[in-house]
Amino acid sequence: MTSDTGLLAYLLIPLFTAVLLPFVARRRPGFSASLANVTLLAGLLNIGYALLNPASLAASFADIKEDGFSLLMIFLIYLVALAVTFFSAWYLEGRPNRAAYYSLILTSVSAMCGAVTTGDFFTLYIFVEALALTCAALITADDSAAGLEGALKYFLLTWPASLLILFGIAFLLLTAGTLSFENLKAIIASGRPAGAVVFAVSLILLGFLVKSGVVPFHAWLPDAYQGACAPVSAYLAAVVTNISGVYAVIRIAMLLRLFEIKSYHTSGLLMFAGMLSIMVGALAALRQKEFKRMLAFSSISQTGYIALAAGLGTPLAILGAVFHLVNHAVFNTVLFLNSAGLEKAAGAGDMRRLGGMEHAMPWTSWTSIIALMSAAGIPPLAGFWSKLIIILALWDGGAKVYAVPALLFSLVTLAYLLAMQKKIFFGKATEASAASREARPALLVPVAALSVLIIALGAFFPYVFSYLLETIAARILL
Amino acid sequence: MNLILIPIALPLASAFLILLISEQTRYLKETLALAVSAVCLLGAFLIFTSALFGQPLELIARWAGYGMDFALKADRLSSFILLAVSLFTFLTAIYSFSFEKKGGAKWFYFNLLQSQAFAAGAALSDNLVALLFFWEGLLIFLTVFIALSKPDQAAKKTAMKAFLINAAAGLCLLAGVAITAYIAGSMSISGISADKLTLIGWAAFGYVLMLIGAVSKSGAFPFHTWLPDAALDSSAPFMAYAPAALDKLLGIYFLARISVSLFTLNGTMQLVLMTLGALTILVAAMMALAQTDYKRLLSYLAVSQAGYLILAVGTLNPAGLAGGLFHMLNSAVCLSCLFMTAGAVERRTGAGDLSKLGGLFGAMPVTALCFIISAAALSGIAPLNGFFSIGLIYEGVLSAGYTPFFITAALGSALTLASFLKLGHAVFFGNRPEGLRETKEAPFSGVFPMAILAAICVISGFGARLPLEFLIAPGLRDLGLAYEALGGLRLYPLFWVSVVVILTAVVNHMFGCAAAQGKACKACDHILYAPVLRDLYALAQARFFDPYEQFMKHLPRLAGILYKADRFFDYLTDDLPAFAVNAFSKASQRFHTGYYPLYLALTIAGFVIYIFFTAHYGGLK
Repeated sequence: MTSDTGLLAYLLIPLFTAVLLPFVARRRPGFSASLANVTLLAGLLNIGYALLNPASLAASFADIKEDGFSLLMIFLIYLVALAVTFFSAWYLEGRPNRAAYYSLILTSVSAMCGAVTTGDFFTLYIFVEALALTCAALITADDSAAGLEGALKYFLLTWPASLLILFGIAFLLLTAGTLSFENLKAIIASGRPAGAVVFAVSLILLGFLVKSGVVPFHAWLPDAYQGACAPVSAYLAAVVTNISGVYAVIRIAMLLRLFEIKSYHTSGLLMFAGMLSIMVGALAALRQKEFKRMLAFSSISQTGYIALAAGLGTPLAILGAVFHLVNHAVFNTVLFLNSAGLEKAAGAGDMRRLGGMEHAMPWTSWTSIIALMSAAGIPPLAGFWSKLIIILALWDGGAKVYAVPALLFSLVTLAYLLAMQKKIFFGKATEASAASREARPALLVPVAALSVLIIALGAFFPYVFSYLLETIAARILL
Repeated sequence: MNLILIPIALPLASAFLILLISEQTRYLKETLALAVSAVCLLGAFLIFTSALFGQPLELIARWAGYGMDFALKADRLSSFILLAVSLFTFLTAIYSFSFEKKGGAKWFYFNLLQSQAFAAGAALSDNLVALLFFWEGLLIFLTVFIALSKPDQAAKKTAMKAFLINAAAGLCLLAGVAITAYIAGSMSISGISADKLTLIGWAAFGYVLMLIGAVSKSGAFPFHTWLPDAALDSSAPFMAYAPAALDKLLGIYFLARISVSLFTLNGTMQLVLMTLGALTILVAAMMALAQTDYKRLLSYLAVSQAGYLILAVGTLNPAGLAGGLFHMLNSAVCLSCLFMTAGAVERRTGAGDLSKLGGLFGAMPVTALCFIISAAALSGIAPLNGFFSIGLIYEGVLSAGYTPFFITAALGSALTLASFLKLGHAVFFGNRPEGLRETKEAPFSGVFPMAILAAICVISGFGARLPLEFLIAPGLRDLGLAYEALGGLRLYPLFWVSVVVILTAVVNHMFGCAAAQGKACKACDHILYAPVLRDLYALAQARFFDPYEQFMKHLPRLAGILYKADRFFDYLTDDLPAFAVNAFSKASQRFHTGYYPLYLALTIAGFVIYIFFTAHYGGLK
């Protein structure tokens, strides 16, 4: 695993800005937003160049010596964080304490970057805990009682997870004597690993499953998303959950190659939990009345796909899981940011009071529809390809029992997303929606850019696929 | 162009040409159809002579692949059938030249020529799939024939009945062809006949399915029920053409092919065939006695003749099959002639009901003479053609060792003659009703084909050797059977059989006339009102024995059941999943209350299960 000091910059620079912000922006609160945006933009451009520079493309990414997965995650973190801060710059205008808000976001970005670049479980744990703390604080940025309740629930329901991770780490240290991914890889590569090592890693995995909101550990997630203020819920849903939980789940799956040591059944449990998430999330989402709450259940369902693929653990499945994670992050950002726009314009997140929004808010509506279609897996959008890869990998990997329901439940996903789309954006305009006006252009910039990204990822899928293949799937082998 | 295509392609193309001709023109369509059918007849004759004296014509074109070739082969048997089909088309074209009540002339000739094309194709096909194509195509035109022969609704209903019965049988034929082709590994008829199939397992099933197709085509029991209805609801030219001639020729041709060339039958199947034939003879002849309409009575006799033919094929010996093929031709000739006389009488008097007719011999002498000759021939009276063909069938049945079937067939002959006596007496003799004083003979176009057919009856009776030598014997050789000709016919005893048959029928008729106080149309009432028969006839009149009507009667209930089944499957696929999803969704909504201890309990429970599993299967075991 990489310990390249070059990657430390992505961690340290936002942290530096975060520390700097409260002092610099004391007199001019508006300045804090600009500074946060500039920092994140710079980071995004930098990582974007690293990923997409022509030389790297021409050499099929062979010169990306670092772990491609980490680089992709850093890119994703910066992308979503920038979208959220850009959105917040106008959305939160005039609210008090903005400097603290941006400071928390930058701190969490730094924590996430640390989590995805680290090479051992203990450091991972430290960064994830730091992330959990900043996020609990971020949820309370919404002054309402719901925000506080969400934050408390988030914290109280995920602390057992931290406990489990800590237990796992202790156990791992006892049995394997090391926490480094590299050394663990070597142990596992040497043959059948000791059952105790697998048990220890399984405990750590359980902790991260709680943090990623997989059923039956999902209870905190809808309340937290619903309670937080809109940009924060977008931030939570799009990256925080993904990095603090799902990233680690995939990382452990890559590390353990759970599929190859079936006798320990951890892979089976992970796949089962993933399938359960897909089902429960999709079915629960069907009857939700609140836009954000439905999106939260939809997130649970999408996370289920990732966990299912990670549990399978074949290179193709991991590739699908990583790509689905990226897609999930991108379309969730669009949807949650748009839900914020809708809430502000129509004064309601209740879908029963919305309708025919496409006339009043065409940009919001059509970017949402693109994201929804991607989530529902409609070709040729990005979400279609990732789901397709996951289902193909399941079929190919011998998990036909899971492939078929995964396919069927993607239809249920389609059903509720189309129903929601019709309820909110099409049909006859209700009183609330007739009176609403399109959001300000500045608020639309991030969602429009991300919608273009959704289309581009789908349209240029062959390139995306070869990137994922070269940098992730081909490097999974021990 | 290959000569073999002329009887198929020429009428096919001309039929569409006829559709283009305006309905206003007079006799243009008729003349064209006549010319085309004459050319077809000529072509058929050339094909036949070529098969008889030279090389049989053949045509093989790749069609659909997988052995489904468009293969035509005019061997001696099939070109004989082709010749007969073309002759009947030609005569029907003449007969209907000035016949008014045949429906729209355009469609009548369109259907006539199409039927000629498809029947010729069916007769010549050497590939089972090509045969199926022509066979089912013919069904379409026969249906349209009936549907357009009268403007009323009854014609459409009967057309539907004929279509459904024949289509059901056609489906059986399709399945039979598929099974046979699969087992034989070939779809070529001559290919399969080179290596015959035995009736074991699936092959037997395939044979029975094809048998259903052949038997229903020839109009035998129990697939005959559309025929008497068509007699009332369609025109006389159609009846003289399709059910009387075409269907007999094709049905029996195919039956003989499958029973002799394609399969080696066993004793059981032989018994089945002969029983079916005997049953058809008896049931249809009994029903004919009860009829009071000219064409309807004839239609039952047509069914009864199909029984003789099936019985003949069932004997499987040379004498029986020679009789069968000969009688196939004879019955087609006689029945066609009889339906033509019915059409002539109907045309001149406007009536088909026997009680309204009488004493027409003086007014229509040629028609009456033709009727008498063909009726006598069909009843097997010496020395007309029917005597020889039925005699050969008796011979075949007896040498196969089935005396009861011989007795049934003879009884059938007596019944046939009895109904002819009733019919002829009621129509042509006795007192002429007041309204028919001015009746005239039918025009030349109506009389000419009848006269030709009657002449055939006489010629092939006195000179029975001629058709047997040149038509039947070569056909038999193509079926792989030896021909013994009339040498095997014991003329003397058969003559006495026919005398007994005639005497029975005449005595019965005289007794009946006396009982009905001289009313010829009620001459059979003493049989109809006999103790047990009375109830059976009443049931038959109520169509109790008609499988089609019974099926149609129960159709609404069946449809109801199917509808319910459909609802049930809809419920399984549409409502049940939606219901289950909704129920689960509601339950989950009720669960996600935001109550913290509940959430925590769930999470802890998940932990316990997870840790138990990993510990159990992992290292802590």
